[in-house]
Amino acid sequence: MGAKTKIISPYFLKVTVGLLVVSVAVSIGFGMARAQPAEVKIGVIYPLSGPVAHAGQMSKDAVSLCVDYINNKWSQLPIPIGNWEGIPGLNGAKIKLIFADHRGEPDRGADLAKKLILDEKVVGICGCYHSSVTKTVSTVCEKHKIPMINPESTSPVLTKRGYKWFFRATPHDRIFVRDFFEFLELLTRGKVPGVGAVPKSDIDEIGACTENTEWGAGTRDVIKEFAKKYGYKIVSDVTYPHESPDLTAEVRRLLTPKPETLMFASYISDAILLTKTMKELKAKANVFWSQDVGFYQPKYIETFGAATQGILNRTVFSKKLFAVKPVARHINEEFKKRAGVDFMGTSARAFTGMQAWAYVLNKAQSTDPEAIRRAAETIEISGKDLIVPWKGIKFENVGGETNQNTWSSGLIVQYQKQEPEIIYPLDAATAKFIYPWPGLK
Amino acid sequence: MEMLLSTLVSALLMGMLFALVALGLAIIFGVMNIVNFAHGEFLMVGMYTAFLTATIFSIEPLLTLPIAAMVGFLLGIASYYMLVRYLLKGPMIAQLLGTFGLMIFLRYLAMCIFGPDYKTLEHGLLIGKSIMWGPVVLSYPRLGTAVLSMLGFGIIYWMMDYTRLGKALKATALDVEAAGYMGIDTEKMRGLAWGLGGATVGIAGALLINFYYVFPTIGILFCMIAFATVALGGFGSIKGAFIAGLIMGMIIDLGGTYLGPQYKFALIYLTFFLVVVIRPKGLFGW
Amino acid sequence: MQIRTLKDALSFGDLPAVERIGFILFITFCFIFPWIIKGGFAQAVMIQFLIFCLYGLGWNLIGGYGGQVALGQAKNVGMSAYTVALLMVRWNIPFWVCTPLGVIVATIESFVLGYFLFRLRGHYFAIATIAVSLVWQQLFINWNFIGGARGIELPLRETPNFIYMQFDSPVYYHYFAFVLVMIAILYMNWFRKSRLGYQLRAITANEDVAESLGINAHWVKVKAYCITGIFAGMGGAFYTVYYSYIDPFSVMHLELSIMIALMTMIGGAGSMWGPIIGAMILIPLDRYLGAWLGGRGILGVDFMIYALMVMIISAYEPRGIWGIIEKARRKR
Repeated sequence: MGAKTKIISPYFLKVTVGLLVVSVAVSIGFGMARAQPAEVKIGVIYPLSGPVAHAGQMSKDAVSLCVDYINNKWSQLPIPIGNWEGIPGLNGAKIKLIFADHRGEPDRGADLAKKLILDEKVVGICGCYHSSVTKTVSTVCEKHKIPMINPESTSPVLTKRGYKWFFRATPHDRIFVRDFFEFLELLTRGKVPGVGAVPKSDIDEIGACTENTEWGAGTRDVIKEFAKKYGYKIVSDVTYPHESPDLTAEVRRLLTPKPETLMFASYISDAILLTKTMKELKAKANVFWSQDVGFYQPKYIETFGAATQGILNRTVFSKKLFAVKPVARHINEEFKKRAGVDFMGTSARAFTGMQAWAYVLNKAQSTDPEAIRRAAETIEISGKDLIVPWKGIKFENVGGETNQNTWSSGLIVQYQKQEPEIIYPLDAATAKFIYPWPGLK
Repeated sequence: MEMLLSTLVSALLMGMLFALVALGLAIIFGVMNIVNFAHGEFLMVGMYTAFLTATIFSIEPLLTLPIAAMVGFLLGIASYYMLVRYLLKGPMIAQLLGTFGLMIFLRYLAMCIFGPDYKTLEHGLLIGKSIMWGPVVLSYPRLGTAVLSMLGFGIIYWMMDYTRLGKALKATALDVEAAGYMGIDTEKMRGLAWGLGGATVGIAGALLINFYYVFPTIGILFCMIAFATVALGGFGSIKGAFIAGLIMGMIIDLGGTYLGPQYKFALIYLTFFLVVVIRPKGLFGW
Repeated sequence: MQIRTLKDALSFGDLPAVERIGFILFITFCFIFPWIIKGGFAQAVMIQFLIFCLYGLGWNLIGGYGGQVALGQAKNVGMSAYTVALLMVRWNIPFWVCTPLGVIVATIESFVLGYFLFRLRGHYFAIATIAVSLVWQQLFINWNFIGGARGIELPLRETPNFIYMQFDSPVYYHYFAFVLVMIAILYMNWFRKSRLGYQLRAITANEDVAESLGINAHWVKVKAYCITGIFAGMGGAFYTVYYSYIDPFSVMHLELSIMIALMTMIGGAGSMWGPIIGAMILIPLDRYLGAWLGGRGILGVDFMIYALMVMIISAYEPRGIWGIIEKARRKR
């Protein structure tokens, strides 16, 4: 034993090993530092001006806040990105956002995507709110082989095109509408707290009112499909032009066959006008459900106040989640300080989309598009890290869809005293369901 | 039957507002044969004026009518003396596209100042109230708007027919040169026509804010309806604008209710097209 | 006869030397553009510029030389774009077969409409064209067979494909658009010197006198309007394959018609180079300033500059920037 140890002195061994470790570490570190940029650029395309600029600006604030969390240390924040200073997998490279304004025009969006990809050399794209713009922008990304994560466009078609570079984090309209019909089924079986079993004949006559652009027209098709599948009748089916000067005729046509369940898909301007007109015409129904967007914005609650009582919305976010998700409360407080409003469906999804980007980059450990794409295909983000009540984020190819986040899910919330209380899924419910809809008071 | 009755009532109420919006366009066209594409933007300015005065000084929205009328009047006069006067010397293409320029300018000026948000008034004498009258729901803001629109119409009609000023305006409209020989300051009359046009549409804007939201690009919607109304009533005819306004209300509401709301604009534009092609003078044009 | 036509189209001999040099510079610039400018956005803006040149050159025929303010150019663009997209998506017909069909549809629409509308004069004509384009847009929004408000998207093919005009690099689109613009310019050059051109200008100067000289004013205007439709149709077909997505809001919008007219007006309606100058100013202004301001949250300023230009030009020099240039040249 003794002889052996004398052949190579322990002192010498220690020094050599130490030197080796240091030199390897230095060379790796040096190599990494050279291979990895100190900054990762992500292009963000939103409607920052034009008719829906309000939503675009909120989304911009949300993604900026998320990037602030990623780039700087926020030790009080109870999720991993609070401790990050830049992307750990990229040696602390900071994310730099480059914003572009598409004004709701698909061709402008496509041109701007080229600007971001070819001139700004972004590693990926995030956006674009409008499903129509997301279509052209994702085509540009696909052609240039640059990954795109879409936080909020809900047109079902988007993930059915077989695109390899397009990832969608949000549930789409088929999922939302299906959830609602599931909820109605539960209602008839008396499973919803706050109300006994409702006879199906009290809710099975549907009045659908959708706006007439890509999103509304798509929703209308899905509503028709599921109504048939679940055995509901559509008694009035109204589509109206976006930004119409007068919706009296629409509302009258919607209400005349006395529908029991009202379903809406509207942008904010139309949602306000529709609600005003319905208020004037003293609309009555048993259930009032709408597809987020126009009916689920701070502006809408501010405009109608107590009259919003009982309106249902599909969404992915509610302030009521704070009880089970303290992190959401924490982030919401910071968001309110900056943007002046609470998180709502759109802004929460934009935040989550950017968070997904950070995780994907972290996993890819490279800014090579192919590596990012592979990371996105295999990533599994736990729901605990998110502010939305999903199982998490996992992009999968199922049922003819490519790269759809299958761990995402929708919520159905009901305005009660101007607060969006969660009604569905039942295990997350924060309040009893108010039935029937009390009307617009 | 119930539905028909309530549709008719709301069609008439909305029609009166459309008529008031179209009135200014008709006056301007009558006096100097120029189409004002910025008319919808004048409406937008009226709406913002009423909205801002009502919220900043927290006064009853109906009391903002004179202020909106004043702002509209000044805007009309300014547009005439700073732009339209020069356009009239040029070819027709310059006249048409010059007011387009004004339209885009006003619209994006509002966008720059107020941002793209939708703004609505929530408090006021009429806002959000309605009564049931048999099967018909009467909404107070619409009813008030219709009554005040009628009043405004009456005043303009009376002014045109019974005051010296109105007669001078009419004379300028019929024959500029002859009116000049009679000692009428035609330049002033034209300016006045723009002022009047702006004032009436400003009032329409202040009324509209009682039940409608305002945002910078709202103008084009009402502008196209106003064009259709004026074309149907006859370019330059005040009586025509009134009756055509009611007809437009009917087309929008009856067509929207019975044929399907998605076709209501197509119907308006189709009427517009057919009138312009079959009877370019309109119902009462001269 | 045919050789004569070709000679007329290709000869710019009657133009002053400065204009000829300018034209050669323009062609050279467009030709070498993709090689000297590598920026992706610059190339996208350039293609947008070429598309609008094509629209503007077409509109100039009826709006400039003909003096008829037609504000419905977007419907012709849309008609052709939709024909091409439908045929390509539903029946997989090659682009090169669809395009002539699209152009034919756009032209037929122009013919029928022009036949009825040219009984009107002045403002009435302008307003009627707006009405028609709005009716078409509404119908297209509600017509489910063609996708309604959802629009039509061309499927992305695996490999670049000449038959369906799908390429990864914008260079191919650039040259295709450039060829279309060259055709339009050569056509306009022929048109200036043609019988139709003289007839149309005579009508613009004084319709009654022209009629008394035996010109069938109605027929001449209808012909010119059809030709305008052809160019709009070509632009629409190109737009479809370039962006591979169309909806009634992007190709049939009134704003597009207005943009085309205002652009030509700013450059100089009724002159050969007017539409090109107009597009050269407005398209970069729109895209670059819009992108720059939009990223900074400043709204509307680019449109205000554009509107001020329109107002100043229509008030002081209705013949546009080309008019100003000519005036300066004459003074010298």
